[in-house]
Amino acid sequence: MNAPSSATGPVVRIENLSLAFVGQDQVVEALRGISLHIDAGEIVGLVGESGSGKSVTAMNLLRLLPRTKVQIPEGATVNVLNQDVLKMNETALRTMRGGEVSMIFQEPMTALNPVKRVRQQMNEILQRHQHLDETAAEALSLSLLKDMKISDPARVYNAYPHELSGGMRQRVMIAMAFSCKPKLIVADEPTTALDVTVQAQILNLLKDRAKATNTAVLLITHDLAVVAQICDRVYVMYKGKIVEEGATRAVIGNPQHVYTRALLNALPEGKAPKSRLETVAAAMIEGGTAEAAAPAPVRASRPPSDKPLLEIVDATVSYASRFDMLGRAIGYNTAVDHVSLTINEGETVSLVGESGCGKTSLANTLVGLVPLSGGQIKYRGQDLAALDAATRREIQIVFQDPQSSLDPRWPLWRLVTEPLTVGNSPGRAALCAAAADLCGMVGLDRNSIDRLPHEFSGGQRQRIAVARALSVRPRLLLLDEPTSALDVSVQAQILNLLLDLQAEHGLTYLFISHNVSVVRHISDRVAVMYQGKIVETGAAEQVLTRPTHEYTRTLMDAVPSLEKVFANR
Amino acid sequence: MSTVVDTTGGGGAGANRSFLASAMPVLLQLRRLAFLLFFVTTLLFFLLRAAGDPALVLAGTDATPEQLALIRAQYGLDKPLLVQYLNYMWNVLQLDFGKSLASGENALLKVLDMLKRTLHLAFMAMTLSSAIAIPIGAWLGFRPETLGRRIVGGIVFVFQGIPGYVTALVLIQFLAVNLRLLPSLGYGPLEWKTWIIPTISLAFFMMPQLIRVTAANVAEAMREDYIRTARAYGASPMQLLWRHALPNALLGTAALLGTQFAMMMGGSAIIETIFSWPGIGWLLLESTQTLDFPVVQAEAFVIAVLVFLINALVDLSFRYLDPRLRNKEA
Repeated sequence: MNAPSSATGPVVRIENLSLAFVGQDQVVEALRGISLHIDAGEIVGLVGESGSGKSVTAMNLLRLLPRTKVQIPEGATVNVLNQDVLKMNETALRTMRGGEVSMIFQEPMTALNPVKRVRQQMNEILQRHQHLDETAAEALSLSLLKDMKISDPARVYNAYPHELSGGMRQRVMIAMAFSCKPKLIVADEPTTALDVTVQAQILNLLKDRAKATNTAVLLITHDLAVVAQICDRVYVMYKGKIVEEGATRAVIGNPQHVYTRALLNALPEGKAPKSRLETVAAAMIEGGTAEAAAPAPVRASRPPSDKPLLEIVDATVSYASRFDMLGRAIGYNTAVDHVSLTINEGETVSLVGESGCGKTSLANTLVGLVPLSGGQIKYRGQDLAALDAATRREIQIVFQDPQSSLDPRWPLWRLVTEPLTVGNSPGRAALCAAAADLCGMVGLDRNSIDRLPHEFSGGQRQRIAVARALSVRPRLLLLDEPTSALDVSVQAQILNLLLDLQAEHGLTYLFISHNVSVVRHISDRVAVMYQGKIVETGAAEQVLTRPTHEYTRTLMDAVPSLEKVFANR
Repeated sequence: MSTVVDTTGGGGAGANRSFLASAMPVLLQLRRLAFLLFFVTTLLFFLLRAAGDPALVLAGTDATPEQLALIRAQYGLDKPLLVQYLNYMWNVLQLDFGKSLASGENALLKVLDMLKRTLHLAFMAMTLSSAIAIPIGAWLGFRPETLGRRIVGGIVFVFQGIPGYVTALVLIQFLAVNLRLLPSLGYGPLEWKTWIIPTISLAFFMMPQLIRVTAANVAEAMREDYIRTARAYGASPMQLLWRHALPNALLGTAALLGTQFAMMMGGSAIIETIFSWPGIGWLLLESTQTLDFPVVQAEAFVIAVLVFLINALVDLSFRYLDPRLRNKEA
């Protein structure tokens, strides 16, 4: 363990910091007078939803925001290691960046330079700040990678980023962050892009290394469960302000501010399955008291029938991966491996598993985007491949990222009615009328049908995607991670919407997700997928609380959960 | 993780297969080249037959019918077209394109001789234009929104509209006629003074596009997450640009260089004509006008091989520049 920092006082002290982005013709306030401090060796969480200002706060610690576009009013203090970063010049800042203060970013896939080996990227930093020669840098890098519990540090050290998995890249990133013995590490959503089992490992690694080296960590996240797992103290941000601050346990166990309470209430965890979740917006509008926004009960859902709607029998999906001289496939990757699953009319079945387990391949096969390599899929007793167009339309899909799944140049009315124009061409008036009706169904403003995707928020865009799927009156909706790209409060809105739609129209859902608490909330039955196979199927409550398969148990143990954290402390 | 069904080279049995695996990309490329050459020669054979009667060209316009018949018999032109075609392809297979109708030289050797000069010019022009365009492009793309760069960008845009021969004529007027510093035309393999104006003219023609593509790619790279990472770890602006952004941006530049080179092979005719630089472009004009079909055919063949090689080279440079592309086929 290192000696505690010789500098007295907190590692970070921000006082009364406001910050605005200056655009062409507008000024956008990002921070409104925030104050926070981090002591040596402390792990502090900064929680909030997108746009709350948490990343801006982090980037501003090292002045990484473009100076010409940022306005900081007088009277603010940003002290890092007893130096006022607002008054430091670029040269001094460059010495601090990566040296005494380092950062870990969200996307390990893109945060490392794709054309440089890990060796070059780690050495560059060690040479810059520690002035080590090649040999010394290599020795130190290898020992840092070893500290990250990497079993073959030499291979990782000589690899290019694309040759490593997401979790491995994030370990490299963390090794880089610790490489110059920083006093502070700023981690901006370090595990958001990772699978839960990897997330658990990375968080533990970060915590252990930080405690062992007495390094302070500012952890930025939208996930309260992650905060609960490793943070000593937490700040909650909302619209550029810090609304609540305190020891993690006190804030999460007994939240004082209405926003913190709303955020906790929006989590599906610990709520009755299929109950309506409270949304943050509702709570904030109700003038202060979260209790005032008593959630309306979800309409009584019809009990699922036991008539099978979709039967997947021994389905296999493989992709050709190697070819011979004549272009014939000689090697295959099997994404879906002899999977069987039945979905009954009106039922919600969830497919749970980590990235690459084959759940999306299976969904794409069901809508005909990927051909089946073996086995059979039957819809209403008929072979999927033999279905006529009208019946085939009854299966629709909603994709994960509403940002990229909607054509940015198309107005709403055209986006949501596109499925209606397949094979026939109703006039524009008819389409606009249909679009307005669809807007009504999914809770969008009927008058907004001429607007473009970028004029909507993330949650609204996902409503558009749902509306598009509903346009042809489907019976079966495939929902591929429909809430993974959304904030917790928006996720709550979309889950409420899906439950409402199901109750009203008797829809059947195949819900694909890696988020166990969402799955528990919405599902009747759960199928757990691992390496292309379904390893466990059963009633949601049973599978998720009393898993029988080893993988399901590992998965459940890794899920960050508020209840679990408090039970263990 | 998905399961890999195929097992590659596990243990001693893999030695032979791994050689095959590494030779595979080359074999695939050769197969592609064979197809390409087959189509080019076939197409050209029939196109030239449609363009004119070779016997008429050989005999001259005032030949008697008897002379024509004699020539037809001599060159096998009286046989059915299919037989002629098969004969021709058999000769091509042995790299025999016949003799030039104009000079009686071996057509292929004549083309290769001209090619040397064009390659000489192209190589000089590309070196010059890359040496100037890549740094300017990188500088422009680094912070594209600043005023100075926007002005330079505008100038580059205007220059993109200036054809190569205009630059050539201006340079001739200025450097050769007014100042009498350099010869205005002619080509000597060792007389470097004759190289200067053609090289500059051609380079000048290629530069604006190269600058703009490099700038656009650098600007894009500068917005990537790994640039933010490098900045957060203390990299200076120069390190960000040269060490992190440019290596990622060069992919687009390499692709354009390949295209420009291929275009120069056929498109250098204007510059070569202006400067009496007897290269492949000039020869192409000459032989097409006189229907010197053995030369035209040899030339098309050589250009096809050359363009193919350039593409293979660009492919190779991609693999060098971007490690993610390396394991695609091997």
